[in-house]
Parts: sequence; structure tokens; C-alpha cells
Amino acid sequence: MLGFLSNIIYATVRMAVPLLFISMAELYSERAGMVNIGLEGLAVIGSLCGFLMSFITGSVWIGILCGALVGILINLIYAYATISLCANQIVYGMAINILAPAVASFVYRIYFGDGSSLNQISLMKTISIPGLKNIPLIGPLLFDQTPMVYLAIILVIFTAIFFNRSKAGLNYKAVGEHPKAAATLGIPVIGTKYLACIICGALSGIGGAYLTTCYSTTYTEGIVSGRGFIALAAVIFGRWSSGGILIACLFFGLCDAAQIRLQVSSLSIPYQFFQMIPYLATIIVLALVGSKQAGPKANGNPYRKEER
Amino acid sequence: MKKFLAMLLCGSMIFGLAACGGGAANTSDGGSDAAETAEAGEATHKVGFILNSSINDGGWGTACYTDLTAAVDADPDWELAYTDSLSQDGYYDAMVAYCNEGFDLIYAPGGEYTDAVMQVAEEYPDVKFALLNGGEDIPASAKNENVTCLLPDATQIGWIAGALAGLASETGTIAFIGGMELTTTLAKYEGYVEAAQYVAEKEGKTVSALDAVYANSFDDSSKGIEFANAMIEQNADVFFGDASAVDSGARQAIDEYNEKQGEIKVFDIAQPADFLGQNDCIIGSQVTDNSSLLSLVLKSVADGTFKAEVTYGDLENGVLSIGALSDSLSKDVQDKYLAYIEEMKNGTFMS
Amino acid sequence: MERVKKSMTGFLVPVLSIILAFLIGAIIMLAMGASPARAFGALFKGAFGSAAAIGTTLNKATPLIFTALCACFAYKCGVFNLGGEGQFLIGATAGFCAVHLTGVTSFPGILLCLLTGTLAGDIWGLIPGILKITRGLNEMIISIMMNYVATLFMGVIYTSWCRDAGMPQTASVDESVMLPRVIPNMRFAWAFVPAVVVGLLLYYFLYWTSSGFKLRAVGLNMTASRFNGFPVKTYILTSFIVSGAIAGLGGASDLLGTQYRLINGYGVGYGFDGVAMALIGQLHPIATVVVAIFFAALRVGSTSMQVATKVPTSVSDIIQALVIVFSVAGMALTQLPEFKAFMLRLTSRSSGKKEERKEA
Repeated sequence: MLGFLSNIIYATVRMAVPLLFISMAELYSERAGMVNIGLEGLAVIGSLCGFLMSFITGSVWIGILCGALVGILINLIYAYATISLCANQIVYGMAINILAPAVASFVYRIYFGDGSSLNQISLMKTISIPGLKNIPLIGPLLFDQTPMVYLAIILVIFTAIFFNRSKAGLNYKAVGEHPKAAATLGIPVIGTKYLACIICGALSGIGGAYLTTCYSTTYTEGIVSGRGFIALAAVIFGRWSSGGILIACLFFGLCDAAQIRLQVSSLSIPYQFFQMIPYLATIIVLALVGSKQAGPKANGNPYRKEER
Repeated sequence: MKKFLAMLLCGSMIFGLAACGGGAANTSDGGSDAAETAEAGEATHKVGFILNSSINDGGWGTACYTDLTAAVDADPDWELAYTDSLSQDGYYDAMVAYCNEGFDLIYAPGGEYTDAVMQVAEEYPDVKFALLNGGEDIPASAKNENVTCLLPDATQIGWIAGALAGLASETGTIAFIGGMELTTTLAKYEGYVEAAQYVAEKEGKTVSALDAVYANSFDDSSKGIEFANAMIEQNADVFFGDASAVDSGARQAIDEYNEKQGEIKVFDIAQPADFLGQNDCIIGSQVTDNSSLLSLVLKSVADGTFKAEVTYGDLENGVLSIGALSDSLSKDVQDKYLAYIEEMKNGTFMS
Repeated sequence: MERVKKSMTGFLVPVLSIILAFLIGAIIMLAMGASPARAFGALFKGAFGSAAAIGTTLNKATPLIFTALCACFAYKCGVFNLGGEGQFLIGATAGFCAVHLTGVTSFPGILLCLLTGTLAGDIWGLIPGILKITRGLNEMIISIMMNYVATLFMGVIYTSWCRDAGMPQTASVDESVMLPRVIPNMRFAWAFVPAVVVGLLLYYFLYWTSSGFKLRAVGLNMTASRFNGFPVKTYILTSFIVSGAIAGLGGASDLLGTQYRLINGYGVGYGFDGVAMALIGQLHPIATVVVAIFFAALRVGSTSMQVATKVPTSVSDIIQALVIVFSVAGMALTQLPEFKAFMLRLTSRSSGKKEERKEA
């Protein structure tokens, strides 16, 4: 029983970490009023780039770095169109979702050509903290992971402090709530929005690269498989706070882990119902809470300096 | 004038964007060699190959592609083109494109292409189609008599893996991961289980199989990772699968588990080509050499003797065989296994 | 004059975007060492080269037209319905279940399928609609979530509840309810016709009836409409219902026209593609239909291009994405106050010049 429990918790964490990076990307974006539904595309290009660069250089860290850089580059297209040209954010996010996977599949095909051998890389090594890792249940969970998992935890803590305790974080949030008021206070609204897009691109690229450098040794086109959209749900489910998002990601990860085990134990409930839980839960939570606390007030609105 | 300026403005902006997009492509392009375009010599016949996973998925797609390349390379009359990573609504389009380009034969490696193949075969009576693992009634039901089915004996495939699983399993639990619940996949699973149980009984132990799981995907390797982990939790120690890239994911998870244990405790049997050495956990492979079947089809198309028929492949005619066995298997186990394979060839296995 | 200018830019932006996207595609091909002329030739030939090819293109366009019109209608009323895919799939699923489970055949079967599909689609559209007007929720997020629920629900149908023996797919619908081809040697089925008819009807409704005018007014400025005493909430709900119904009808007719059965991977991306097409078509129903056919042609042609010239199909995907990227950005650009002021200055200067000339 303990074994089963620890296994399922372990699987939950494994599923939750990439989701956490991508959700955090969306949090930073939406806190500056930028709804970005292009996360899926950013993660796909990040996963390809992470894989390819690790494959070429042999270093997963370079892979992750390049995943982040490409995420930023692609997201700058989104940033320019939505911030400077005031294009619709949702539509542009969608355009990214169509563009980025196409570019990824093109690059993969060009690089690997007609060769039919399986291309694999060696994954990032885990770093275990001696002593602590022998604690039952939480030992291997918290103290025997890849550095990326520790990074994700640090990111959650940092984000919580940044948005709630620091002046810079409050200014950043003001851009998402009342951009006009923020501008009169001297906060660089446009600059903050661009910064938000850069952070968002980097984190979702890292989330994608995590999949191919820490999770799967190969790159396949289906590797991201909807995580970008679940991350969108996780941000709403987590009520735009980093702690909430952590819980949401763990919950969605648990659903995923349970879904896999349900299939293995061949119960008669179709496993798709478990896969629906994240989406249904998001809808229900939104319906119950209502729009009063539906995130940053200026979310999704373009910011024009000289509004009529 | 104003129109021109508007265009100029749009243009400059758009190129700005393009620079971003292009930049992204370049950075990830890295030190890639220029595109490899396979330039074939003067060939008189052309075969088109379609695939819903990728040709380098390290499993089904790779094996089918290499089989076809082997057959085509051996025959100077033929050249090959392929389209991979197709989505479900792309099967038909891709085959029509090959038909319009004047291809003589189209090879579709799997039962899931049946609908599309039948439709295109009806519309292009002059083009021949080879369907791997289609149903036995397919060639007869094609109106233009232009579809042939290659049918490697799925039960024997299961047996080949199952006998090894029965010998190798120590925990007495074996596992199977399928891509989709295809008829042939089910037959492989059944053969796998019955052979393992038969062999185990002879060895004086009991083996039971976990229910087969299906990823409903051939290209999501993360599903393989999670399935394998969940099945190892249920004590499974020999894996066999039929799910392309999903299998690669499963092998990765098994390797990771073994690494943690410090020794190779959980094994994988690969198919449909000899993948020994690709992963540490692979102890043997069930090999389906479709290239010999394909060579026959290529010849028959070239000399006009093509017939709409079902061609079976089994151990006896050499289409099915076993790959190299891992050194981690003891000499005793290897000998026993080879003896069982002999029995399968003679038809005395399980009878 | 102002209207002409507006429709000129409305026309110019997508056309320029298409040209530019193709230019970039050509550059990529040149870099790969392929001949763009040959590749685009093969692409065109694959999509329009023969009667059969045109039929395939129209067939491929059919589901896209439905989802694009679904998006088009909703946006005209200022509602961002991103749930076209879910409504489309639930329409196909419900339509399938209706004929499969009741066993009704031939014409009544077709009617039953289309009706249930339409109904299911608008119920699926109604959910985000109700949540929007009662709880003030963002319809985009809700409808995206609903897409996934619909896709997974279809999965339950074809993997568990109505599966065919051998494969994770349903049995195909009865032969008597399959829609025949419009012209025997062209591949497109009758499903294409209702798609175009819906487009024409929408055009008539939106531009030639007073309720259509009011609906557009709500879409342009919700607050002002509310002040003018328009029942804004009713309009919003109506637009959700109607757009959902269009997508649902699309799912059901695509099922009977080309798909025949529910299967893994069916309908992926139709919804978002539809949104993009509606926007490139400037939310004009007829233009939207044309754009959908254009994209379908790019898709059908791309495999021919890959087969004939070994240029990967992803190049065509990149071109399609760039068309969207450029035209949406271009349209946003023309809406910018800076751009408007710039254009105004240009216009006044050139008309000023004309006057000078007259004086001279």
C-alpha cells in the first residue's frame, strides 16, 4: 500500500513539473494583462529545441537554455503584435499554436533527414541529497530529483514573494489590473508587458525542453500533448497565485497518474472521464467563484496610450 | 502613393516579424547539413509509403520503413518516396497525391489505413496497394482487385515473444503495451500470453499476464513511460509491445528502473526488427522481415502478375524470425528458447 | 468613399499577407535547394489540377467552412466563441449516436442525424453562453475547456461505448445515410452544399435584415447598444446558440459526407483553424467561405507538393500559419490610431496637392 502510494505520488510529481513551468509562464503573462494561449506552441518548439541542442552539444543544460531562447524569440512575435499593434491576444496566441509546431516539425525533418534510426539523448542526472533522501515517502520525492525540479520549487517560492512582497511585483501586477493608473504612477506599462512576454516565452520553452531533457529521451511530435492548454486551466484553477497554481498542477498531475493506473488495472470506467477532470474542474471552479475574482482586471485588453 | 506607403509599412513590419520567425528556425537549425534529398537513379517503377508515426520512431515506423527500403534497394527497377507523421484525415490525401504522381504501388503498413486504402483503390484502379495487417477478406472485397494484404501471423509473433517472456520472467508477471486495439494487436497479445503460460508451466512455474493497455497513440512516448512505470509497480518484469514510439518510452522507463535497482531486472522484448543494443533492457527481438514479402509484391507489380490475395508470413517461410539474444540470458535459457522456436516451426508447439 | 476605402484595406491586408507568406515559403524552399516554382506548381495542381482534385479540396473545405462560419457569426455579435471544435465534434458524435442507436435509415436517418447534430452543437454552445451572461465568465476560456471535454467524450464513444470489433473506432454509418457525391466524378459530397448555403444565409441575415443589423451593432459596441435599449443578453445568447448550431450541423454533415465513423484524431484543429479563417475573411460570411476553401486547397496541395518535390508538408503548414500571423497583425495595424492619423495625413496632403494643381 505504501509502495503504491509513493509510486502514485512520484508519478504525480513527474507529471506536474512540466505543467508547473508552463503554468508559471502563463501566470507571469496574465499578471501583466497578457492572455497567451500560445503556450502549447511555445512548449512544442521548446521541446524540439531542447532535444536538438542536447543532441548536438551533448549538454542538457544548453538544450534547456536554447529551449528558453527559442520560446522567447517566438513569443516576441506575439508580443510585438499584441502590445505594439494591439492585435487580439487570443487570436495571436492561436496563430503561435499553429506556427510553432509547424516550424518544429520542419526543423526536425531537415536536421534528421531520411534517416530512420532512433535519436536518443541521455537525460539530466538526478541530484540526491544524501541522508535526507532516505526518509520514507517524501525522501525520494523531494531530495532525489533532477535540478529542474528544485528549480521549479524555487520558482514557485520566488514568484509568491515577488508578487506579494516586493515593490516591483506590485508594480508589475498594477499593469495587469489598471494599466492607465499604473502609467500615471510612472510604471513603464509597455516595457512591463514586453518583459512579461519574455518571461512567458522563456518559461514555456523551458517547460517544453524539460519534457525532452528530463523526461523522455526522444522527441516525438505528440510529446507536449495538450499540456499548454491544461496549464491555462491550472492558472485559473489556481486563482492566479503561485501557491494555488502549484496545488492545481499537482492535482492535474494526480488526475493524469490516476488515469494511467486506471487503464492498467482495467476498470470498466472509460479512462477519458479521468482525463476530463482538469477541464471540468476548471469550468466548475470558475462557475462557482464567478467573474469577481477572475484574475487581473485588464487581462486580455490591449493597452493604447492615447485612448479616445 | 498612399497605397504604396501602406504596402511599404505592412511589408517592413512583416519582414520584422519574419526575421523573428526565421531567427528561431536558424538557431534551432544549428549546424545542420543541407536537406538530404534522396536522389534516386533512373527507376521505372515507384512505390509510395505512408505512415502515421515518424520513420525514426525507433519501433514500428522505423522497421516498416527499413523493410521497404531494403526491398527497394535490392530491386533497381524501383524507387521509393514516403510521407510520415500523417494525421487521420491525411491518409487519403497522401495516397491520392501518390496516385496522381503516377506511382505504381502504395504501401500502407497497418490495419488502421484500411478505410482510406479501400477508398483510393476504388478511385484509382490502375494503382496497386499493399496493406500490411489488413483483414483476410480485404483483397476479395476490393472492387478493382488491386489490393493485396501482407499478413504476418500475429499469433506466432505473440508466441515468439511469449516463449521468451515465459523463460525470462522471475516475478511471474508479464506485461503488454499496445498502440491501438487492432485485431492483429489483440492476436499478438493472446499469443504472447498463451505461449508464456505454456512455457512457464513446462519450466515448473506460473506466469500471469497483466491486461493489455492501449496508448491510443503511436507517437506519444510519455504514455509509454507512464504505462511502463505503472506496470512495473504491478510487478511486471517482462514487457512486449506493439506501439511504435510508445514502446521507446516504455523501454526508457524500464532502463531507468533497472538503473535504480543497480541490475537489469525488468526486460523488454522488441519488435518488429532486431533492436538488441538500442536499450539495455532489450533481451531479444521478434523480427518480422516484411522486406521479403515486399520484394515479391514489387516483382509482381513490375511484371504484371500482381494478384489481389493475402500473403501470409510465418516462421516457416522465414518472414518471422528471432533477433539476436542478449548475453544476459544464460546459455541454458537460450538453448531452451531456440528449442521452442524449432517446435513452432514444426508445428508441434503447444499441441 | 469611406466604405470603399475600408473594404479596400480589408481586401488588401489578407492578399498581401498571402503573398508575403508564400514569399517566405519560397525562400525556405530555395534554402533547401528545391525549386519554389515547381513546388507551388505541384501544390496548385494537387489542389485544383483535375475535377477530382477540386472535389477533394471542396470536401476538405466543408468542415472548415462550418467552423469558420460558427466563429464568424459569434464574433459579429462580439462573442469570442472558441468552442467551434467542441461543438463540431459533439455534433458529429450526437449525430452518429442518433443514427447508430436508433437504426433509422435512408432519408429520415439523414434528417435525424443532422437535427441531433445541430441540437447537440447548440447545447454545447449554450453552456459558455449561459455562464457568460449569468456569471460574467470569459467565454473564450470556457469554450476551450469545452473543446477538450467534447474530444474526450467522443473518445469514450469510439473506444468504449460504440466501438467496432477490431479497432478503436465506431462502425461506419449505414450506407443509406451516407451523403452521395454532388457530381459523380468529383469527390465532393452533398455536405458541401449546406456549408455554402449557411454562408449565404448568414450573409443575408447579417447584412439585409434589421435583426442582423442590431446584432452587428451589439457586436460593435455592447455598452452603447445597452443604452439604446437593445436586449444585449438575448443577442449574446442567440449568437452562442446559432454559432453552436452551425458547428454542430457541420459535424453531423461531415460525418455523413466524408467521415462516416468516429475515429481517433478526428477534427483536431478544426475549431482554431475556423477562427483564423473567419478573421482573415474579415468576419464577412462569403469571404470566410472563400478563405476556408483557400486553406483547404493549401492542405490538399501540400501532400502533392511533398510527393512531387520532396518539400516537407510542414513548409505548407508554416505558410498557412504565416498567412494568419501576417493578416491578423496587418489588420490590427490598420486599426491603430497612429496608422489612421498617418493615413489621414497622407490623404489630406494628396487632396491638398490636387487643389494646388487646380489653382495652378
